[in-house]
Amino acid sequence: MQDKITKILKAIADPTRREIFHALIIATTALPITQLSNQFVISRQGVTKHLKTLEEAGLIVISNQGRERYCHANAKPLQEINQWLKFYEQFWDTSLKNLSSYLDKKI
Amino acid sequence: MNDSIKKEHVFQHPIDKVWDAISIEKEISSWFIKADFKAEKGYYYTFNSEGEHCTQINGVIVEADPYTLIYTWIVEGTKAETTVKWTLEEVEEGTKLYLEHSGISEYEGDTAVDMFNSFNNGWNNCINKLTEYLKAVYAG
Repeated sequence: MQDKITKILKAIADPTRREIFHALIIATTALPITQLSNQFVISRQGVTKHLKTLEEAGLIVISNQGRERYCHANAKPLQEINQWLKFYEQFWDTSLKNLSSYLDKKI
Repeated sequence: MNDSIKKEHVFQHPIDKVWDAISIEKEISSWFIKADFKAEKGYYYTFNSEGEHCTQINGVIVEADPYTLIYTWIVEGTKAETTVKWTLEEVEEGTKLYLEHSGISEYEGDTAVDMFNSFNNGWNNCINKLTEYLKAVYAG
């Protein structure tokens, strides 16, 4: 099932893609792909491939400005996953605490 | 990023006592959520079946053999199916529980946000009420 969250999880599962994403987050501004590629040992073609995966997940946006292609990071999809996880982390913690005191009081 | 939530907890109680608490309708309704529940494979359960402002959760029992309990977890108003797995193990101090809630990757991004919002409005209330209930019952 290739839905949105699956794509996001797949995109950030790869260490190089995480580095690329991280570099764009730190830059806070759109970077030309040429400049971004120079920061990585892998080929420009390799970087472009990773960028495409990140773009499909909605984690980066690529735009053309003149001859150069620029990309910038978009962290919003990650927040959606984070919210889900944070909610259930807390939910299960609370529930297990309740279970624990329930068992303690049960005769 | 992992797509599941895992919890471990040791209860200083015998394994059967913990098993009953997580698998018997009356007990689940006491500490967890008001339930229509039978620990039988194939049973369609409902949590918050009588809740007025509570988000309903339902699903089917996938496995219910001591000491493993697995059921699907579908939040009302969403189509995505997640899975909750309870596993108990006897340890020296009592009983060790492994809890796993998996399947977030089944959610579409927007659905995850909708669900989160609906919980904020509904479900948290139910949990708070539950905590109050427990406090009141065990106050003496």
